[in-house]
Amino acid sequence: MTLKATKGQRVLRFMANNTVPILFLIICAFGIPLSGYSANYLISEIIVRLVRNSFLIVSLLIPILAGMGLNFGMTLGAMAGQVGLIFISDWGIVGIPGMVLAMVISTPISMLLGWWCGKILNMAKGREMVTSYIIGFFMNGIYQLVVLYGMGPVIPIRNKALVLPRGYGIRNTVNLIGIRKALDNLIAVRIGTVPIPVATFVLIALLCLFVLWFKKTKLGQDMRAVGQDMEVARAAGIPVEHTRIVSIIISTVFAGYGMIIYLQNIGTLNTYNSHMQIGMFSVAALLVGGATVAKANIRNVFLGVILFHLMFIVSPMAGKNLIGQAQLGEYFRVFVSYGVITISLVLYEMRKKREQALAGLTLAAAQEVEA
Amino acid sequence: MKGKTLLIRLAVIAVILILSAILFFVGKSHTVLVDNKAVTVDGKEIAALKLVEVAVNKQASWELTPRDRDKFDVTGQKHTVTVAYTDEWWEEHTIVRTFTVPLMQDMVMILVPALVANPESDQSVWLENYEIPSYAVTMAESDEVVVTDDMAGLITDL
Repeated sequence: MTLKATKGQRVLRFMANNTVPILFLIICAFGIPLSGYSANYLISEIIVRLVRNSFLIVSLLIPILAGMGLNFGMTLGAMAGQVGLIFISDWGIVGIPGMVLAMVISTPISMLLGWWCGKILNMAKGREMVTSYIIGFFMNGIYQLVVLYGMGPVIPIRNKALVLPRGYGIRNTVNLIGIRKALDNLIAVRIGTVPIPVATFVLIALLCLFVLWFKKTKLGQDMRAVGQDMEVARAAGIPVEHTRIVSIIISTVFAGYGMIIYLQNIGTLNTYNSHMQIGMFSVAALLVGGATVAKANIRNVFLGVILFHLMFIVSPMAGKNLIGQAQLGEYFRVFVSYGVITISLVLYEMRKKREQALAGLTLAAAQEVEA
Repeated sequence: MKGKTLLIRLAVIAVILILSAILFFVGKSHTVLVDNKAVTVDGKEIAALKLVEVAVNKQASWELTPRDRDKFDVTGQKHTVTVAYTDEWWEEHTIVRTFTVPLMQDMVMILVPALVANPESDQSVWLENYEIPSYAVTMAESDEVVVTDDMAGLITDL
């Protein structure tokens, strides 16, 4: 016997399950007319954001499948990607070969960092998110040590434009003019006035297909089993710890590639900050798309990028038009980024408790019938 | 089985290393300067051309008058330079030569008058490595402040 929900209850449950996307839809519905932006402008901006961020956000899906929550440790991969970009800028490798070489350089670094991160997360089961978040801060210190003091005296850097005037360490910003929009402009199609970077979309589509295929493989099924119940998975003979480490390694490597795609679109590397910002914004975008700590899919990625970045685009102008200050919009979007993560985590916990209570009620009803 | 796995892994690493080397050679960027200035080759002075059109690979050509210098950004090591000029008898000439840029050399300079005077000679006669003079490297007046701490703004002098 099951407890049947009424239509009203089903609507309420749908709204409760999709609170964050609905909230964002409402914000955007108010923000768009207030901003005064044209549909053409908004569409072209959204396409730019989709191209820039989607790869990074898709990299978060596999650890969620393995039950490790949102991988804030993706910043490790982002750092590896940036190291690759610093090297190709120093060597003067440009265009697609430069991008691919940066990816090749980032891969072993990402794998090593992912393996190390996975090892630590295995020691902190149940607290993976906060642990990976702190690992990101710790590794940021190591990254700064290497980039700020190691590059120049220990790791040779030939290009003087990259090095700080004191003679060692990389400058605050690195000009990526050699690879700027190299992938985006590889196959560029224009629909009306909106440019569509086909090659980047193809790459993102390939990653999505990989994730879909991966879920069906033996390893993907193992990850799903580990994500549902580690003890049951272990009893079934799945190497739980190894599977978890592999999921983090895959995520970190893809985050490195994602960072390279992200930065080729922007054209400038903010050496000491880019990677730290990207983790927070990627996680927030995925949550805005309706994902939870335990469940996320490709639909959440694209919906999240569209809604989250739509809010980013319209909020400064909406704030300016509303009270005459664009700064309000700036504060608003930072507040929303952190707020959305908090709301999502709270809602996830509430939903989990509600489902547990519902399961209890169902069980009690079944027992009553049997009695 | 373990030996086979190891062999496959080593082969993959080798392929990646080869791919990286290829990418390095193919993607390495160089600047080719084209200079139309009087030069001395083997103790003989060669005057600059009054008007010459120079192109590297399939890039748009530049017209150079005496003492003009321009640049082409190229990737890879092997390139073609095309020089078109009209001589004193109003006859048009076109010289096409291929040249190789040393791998780690960022800038090379083609001495156009030397190339026109010696079109069949070795590239060393009309192509020279070029280093940016140290005075041309602009340095910041003061050392750049690197902000690595997001919370640095919270630290104030009490």
